[in-house]
Amino acid sequence: MKQYVKRCMSIFFIITLASCLACAKKQVKDDTTAMQPPAGTAAEQPEAMQEGVLEESDLGSKEFKEITEDEAELRTVFKDIHFDFDDFSLRPDAKETLNGIAEWLLKNTATQILIEGHCDERGTNEYNLALGERRAKSAKKYLVQLGLAPKRISTISYGEEKPLDPGHTEEAWAKNRRDHFLIR
Amino acid sequence: MKKCYFVALLVILAICTGQGAGHAKVYIDIYSPSSSRLPIVIPAFKNMGSRSDTRSLAANMPRVIRDDLEFSGFFKILDPAVLDEALLRGLTRNEIKWDSLSIIGAEAIITGGFSYKKNKKITAELRLFDAVQGRFITGKKYEGTVDDYRLICHRFSDEIFKKLTGADSVFNTKIAYVKDIGAKKDLHIMDYDGKNSKQITWYGSLTLSPAWSPDGEKIAFTSYKNGNPDLYVKEIYTGNVKNISRKKGINIAPSWSPDGKKIALTLSLNNGNSEIYTVDLTSGKLVRLTHDWATDVSPAWSPDGKKIAFVSSRSGTPQIYRLTLKTGKVKRLTYEGNYNTSPAWSPRGDLIAYAGLAGGTFNIHVVSSDGTFSNQTTFAGDNEDPAWSPDGRFITFSSTRTGRKEIFIMRADGTGQKQITSGRGEKSDPAWSPLLGR
Repeated sequence: MKQYVKRCMSIFFIITLASCLACAKKQVKDDTTAMQPPAGTAAEQPEAMQEGVLEESDLGSKEFKEITEDEAELRTVFKDIHFDFDDFSLRPDAKETLNGIAEWLLKNTATQILIEGHCDERGTNEYNLALGERRAKSAKKYLVQLGLAPKRISTISYGEEKPLDPGHTEEAWAKNRRDHFLIR
Repeated sequence: MKKCYFVALLVILAICTGQGAGHAKVYIDIYSPSSSRLPIVIPAFKNMGSRSDTRSLAANMPRVIRDDLEFSGFFKILDPAVLDEALLRGLTRNEIKWDSLSIIGAEAIITGGFSYKKNKKITAELRLFDAVQGRFITGKKYEGTVDDYRLICHRFSDEIFKKLTGADSVFNTKIAYVKDIGAKKDLHIMDYDGKNSKQITWYGSLTLSPAWSPDGEKIAFTSYKNGNPDLYVKEIYTGNVKNISRKKGINIAPSWSPDGKKIALTLSLNNGNSEIYTVDLTSGKLVRLTHDWATDVSPAWSPDGKKIAFVSSRSGTPQIYRLTLKTGKVKRLTYEGNYNTSPAWSPRGDLIAYAGLAGGTFNIHVVSSDGTFSNQTTFAGDNEDPAWSPDGRFITFSSTRTGRKEIFIMRADGTGQKQITSGRGEKSDPAWSPLLGR
């Protein structure tokens, strides 16, 4: 019996080695080559070619532009508005800024705006994406109440992904909890 | 093809004879709460070939296995320095002096040898012995490139874990995460120990929230690559990308149903009020699950597919809730603190990990899925984005405790915390792969 067991063991060992030699070899290769990125931009090639259905997306938000340093008048109108932590209600100072923006837009009827909702870095980025969305929508809703056509106002949330101030202080966070305005 | 059958037959034979010879012994009872650690010694590997050990495999290979086994929490790694080299003349049973192993208290020993071949290839032979009985437990031979030496070691660690516990290990799993370089975020995938990291998206935009499909072949994520935060699924091994949701507003926070047929996600549509939906990946059909004016976000499917945990601010502050899909009944699970987010449902079903804010910092907590019990597992820096290992024994998360945001792993009870990333860029949002097919 003992000898039988011993023999089984040695057979087992040889077989394990043999079978592993056969499969491990290939597997080891498979695993590591699979995720090699194709060089350069070619990496994205399969998407376009193999997707089959047309991909349509709204490039609208890419068309808006930042207000530059020399556009002094615009800069005084389209100031960032700020929010309290985990809050999307409009503070009195925010409403004041929005009143000015509405007034300007009612005079300059060809201009459209994009409102970006932002959050500070605290909290989960998913929750902050939802919060940023609400911050942008809060401002839009207020502007619509002041008589602006909804289609002139686009919104996008960046959550905590694009901080204005990269610091980790209450001062930086307060700056980052904002709606930011772009125009076209 | 014939050869395949032959190999398969041999494997079956091996399993039969293996069990016949008493291989079913469980050395470590991983389900026992008081399970003690198995003392194991892993001496330096031997260079069996004629070429020189240019990659220091003699030291590096055993280190990978030691780190694997140590992190599992079921092994006590003995210092191989106490072992007299002379006691180990070779790799096989007859070449080990068994008496000396019992003196240092080793109950198991791993021997390994390697040799360098042509074209950067190596072969390695690894064996595990029961040091108390002087008995061979398992042995494997591997061939691969020298760059694959970690993979070979993880494979064997997995083999050891299986043989000694009867359960699968996480040693061959991967972690997807987000790396932030120059305000651009892309997805990367690395081994569970943080090594061998590879970039898998190159959008140069904001790409967030990776979520593995249950089969481990696809990753769902949100990206701004076309302007709006839309939801995509990428097949990791083919590179194909498919847009899953591009509604107005946010299309974020994917969580796969356990059968892989649906994805739960968060949409805000026109009015900015985010709600939880599911999308059927075949038909594209959307089903709305939450109806509340408050923010509802971050769904996490239960492993049985019957419930979804999510974040809602319906009580005034973000808290973790649990929705039963059949009845639509919602139960609040967290009451401590004013900011609890990022639920992750354990693959075993009994626990939900989340990030909670208290005293100005975020930490990872674990709450039982019925809400009756809760436990804080991290205590330094800001800790967020918890995700479970597929066996439910470990949690990966991001932490700022060393300054920059890095990825960590730990046992589910908070022990064994280990930083696994370093270098350029903030890393966040880790997602642990399922057990990956071979």
